[in-house]
Amino acid sequence: MSLIKKTEQNPQKEISRLEVTPVTRVEENKDAFTLTVELPGVSEKDIELTLENRTLSITAENTVQSFEGYTQVLTEIPEVRYRAAFDLPEHVDTAAIKAANKNGLLILTLPKREEVKPHRIAIAAG
Amino acid sequence: MRAYLNTIGNPWRVFDELIGEFPYDLLNNAWRARTGQYPHVNVWESEQGLVVEAEAAGVDPDKLDVTVDANVLTIRGEKEQPDGTKNEFQRSFNLPFELERERIKASVKNGLLTVSIPRLATEKRTIAIEKL
Repeated sequence: MSLIKKTEQNPQKEISRLEVTPVTRVEENKDAFTLTVELPGVSEKDIELTLENRTLSITAENTVQSFEGYTQVLTEIPEVRYRAAFDLPEHVDTAAIKAANKNGLLILTLPKREEVKPHRIAIAAG
Repeated sequence: MRAYLNTIGNPWRVFDELIGEFPYDLLNNAWRARTGQYPHVNVWESEQGLVVEAEAAGVDPDKLDVTVDANVLTIRGEKEQPDGTKNEFQRSFNLPFELERERIKASVKNGLLTVSIPRLATEKRTIAIEKL
């Protein structure tokens, strides 16, 4: 256990980037939860996924292109750091989490553990 | 004192200012962007032309549509949500110059659409004035 304040442990990196919470959708079916996180302009190598004490954290930085010889006349997409964290319920099988990146979406599949999936119990005729 | 006098000149001025400063556009755009109806863009301009970059996370590149009609560039697309509902979005830009239609290029990477629009090289013409 450490008594050092959290903020002192990790001095914040450059604060130049705005921190935003990405638009996220969570869905559940009987086998798994699916998290769909919108990360436009983020390449795969700039996504950091960590799992600590059943907390899944997502940190990602987008790349804003600049074009040589051009001047920027409208800026609606700034350089940002996307940050989100999710407390995973006990019945998520953390070892089997899968992540995929497609069209600027990060899709996380969090399977449920076998024993919590609904299943029928046969009744033996007596 | 001057401010006070002005207020007397137009007693509603202070309200006009309040309403005028209210960021309707900003809030409206923010709301539309949040609901995915209005993509955010970055625009660059130079002698050669214009580059427009638009956010299109989660949009199938086949469902993206970039059209140019006269001097209006329109970006249109359809975003399918994980639950199957489809959201359409659209945004148009008035282009400040004549463009070279054949050389317009568009590409998608990591959910960002980049459209480059070259400026049409126009020759300057001097018109002779006839003396009557």
